Amino acid sequence: MSRDKSLVVDGVRQFFGPKNSRVQALSRTDLVIEPGQFVCLAGPSGCGKTTLLRLIAGFINPSEGQITVSGSEIIGPGPDRGVVFQSPTLYPWMDVASNVELGLKFQGVSKDQRRADSERYLQMVGLTDFAHRRTYELSGGMQQRCQIARVLASDPEFILMDEPFGALDALTRERLQNELLDIWRKTGKTILFITHSVDEAVFLGSRVLVMSPRPGKIVFDEPAIFSKPGESIAAEEIRSLPAFLELRERVRSSIQHSH
Amino acid sequence: MVIPLDGLEYHPSGGPEDRHGGPAVVSKSAPLWVRVRKNHWTTRLIALAAFLVVWWILTTPWAWNGDKPIMLPLYLPSIPSVWNAFIRANTIHPIAEGVDREVVGEYGYYLWQHLLATLQRIGIGLFFAIVIGLPLGLLMASVKIISVSVEPYINFLRSLPPLGYIGLLIVWFGIDNTSKIWLLFLAAFPPITIATIAGVSGIKEDQIHAAQSLGASRLQVVSSVTVPAIAPDLITGIRVALGFAWTTVVAAELNNGIPGIGGLAYLSGTELKTPLTITCIIVIGITAIVLDSIIKAMERVLTPWRGKA
Repeated sequence: MSRDKSLVVDGVRQFFGPKNSRVQALSRTDLVIEPGQFVCLAGPSGCGKTTLLRLIAGFINPSEGQITVSGSEIIGPGPDRGVVFQSPTLYPWMDVASNVELGLKFQGVSKDQRRADSERYLQMVGLTDFAHRRTYELSGGMQQRCQIARVLASDPEFILMDEPFGALDALTRERLQNELLDIWRKTGKTILFITHSVDEAVFLGSRVLVMSPRPGKIVFDEPAIFSKPGESIAAEEIRSLPAFLELRERVRSSIQHSH
Repeated sequence: MVIPLDGLEYHPSGGPEDRHGGPAVVSKSAPLWVRVRKNHWTTRLIALAAFLVVWWILTTPWAWNGDKPIMLPLYLPSIPSVWNAFIRANTIHPIAEGVDREVVGEYGYYLWQHLLATLQRIGIGLFFAIVIGLPLGLLMASVKIISVSVEPYINFLRSLPPLGYIGLLIVWFGIDNTSKIWLLFLAAFPPITIATIAGVSGIKEDQIHAAQSLGASRLQVVSSVTVPAIAPDLITGIRVALGFAWTTVVAAELNNGIPGIGGLAYLSGTELKTPLTITCIIVIGITAIVLDSIIKAMERVLTPWRGKA
């Protein structure tokens, strides 16, 4: 059953702060992410998107409820759930290739195998020529690509991305969106992608969620049918489809009404 | 590459106004006053020359002053007499003029032996300061109880002038090397511990999270993230610690400090051998600058990402 490998958020609520003045960041949330889905979670900043991602990543524990992967409860971060952070958390004391190999190193993969893998993934994100550069010598977009390669190389089942392209200029952002779609089509990974851009969510996702703020609550959940695994349509084509424009409009109004 | 930004003027290094204040490249054929403005080393050489000229003027006998120098040799010895003291301290020489008996350097040791003895003490003291100070800092950064209970004592110790407790150390550890090394250790370890704590608290949480999400064990997080992440702070701590230890060296070598450059400086002063005292001061100062440059070079080689990421 495909459901066996899914990620299940079951009755999760999240509070922050001391008991007497606690703030609810996430109201009761139930969510099932099926294998192979590209789930985009959109919403205004401060609505609890990142909280949900950090709960799934295992960086924080839910105040109530539980999150399971393949039926077993998440109790902390793990290599089955790779995280692409908003600002690239590359390690400046290692070169680009060593950063990409790090997950494999933790898993005890041999050096030769690691080299081969990092070369493959660096090629996938177009950083082959920068393998032996220091990470701080890369531009912001390149650092994000390196971070994506690092997560891909450690071969997680889920990739959690927290506004990874938020700080990039429009051109770089569009290019990376296309590259990410390509990668998703090639690898069939399950992705949870957080963004505050409606266009980005509708363009990338195979399923679009919208979260409303204070406390965070998923108010919109629909499949986006424009990009399926194995199929490749040009980005401009997708963006001009009537169905794309229609969904984008509905997502936008759902965000506006949730305020 | 630096990209010119709107509203920010960008001067390539070596340009007319080097924003970073570093030495700019200046042609050797440029007039002196241009070189002074552009090149720090030219400026420094001229300042040194000026200093030596003033020293020479103050210590040379002048006819208008009754063939006496402006400052008497006891207070400020002349440049040649300091040079002679330096040579004497490095050679086998007669114990006094016209006496046959010959002695080695000063107080039975060459100057470099005095310096080496001191460097050894500092080296051992600094070694233990790192071996104790680094793990203590890591412990204090990660275990609240330890940090809360130990921190006041470290601050207490740090504020004490070493001269205040050298006597106690001698009573406890004897008048030989042990008490001196203890003093240097006590001077050197607080900066290292404090730098380690600062380093750990400066680690971005997500850098730890990223490693955990890549499958790192606790030990792998420490070895792959924590230790390299605090390296720049640790090296700064070691640099400060070495500076502290070095300024404590005369206090450490006040008693039974021969051989030792600090002991020699002190002893020669008490015996009014001012040229030798000045020689020692110059050697101590230059050694400190050399040691500091070595650590700064290590910093560049070991942590090239410092300030860039």
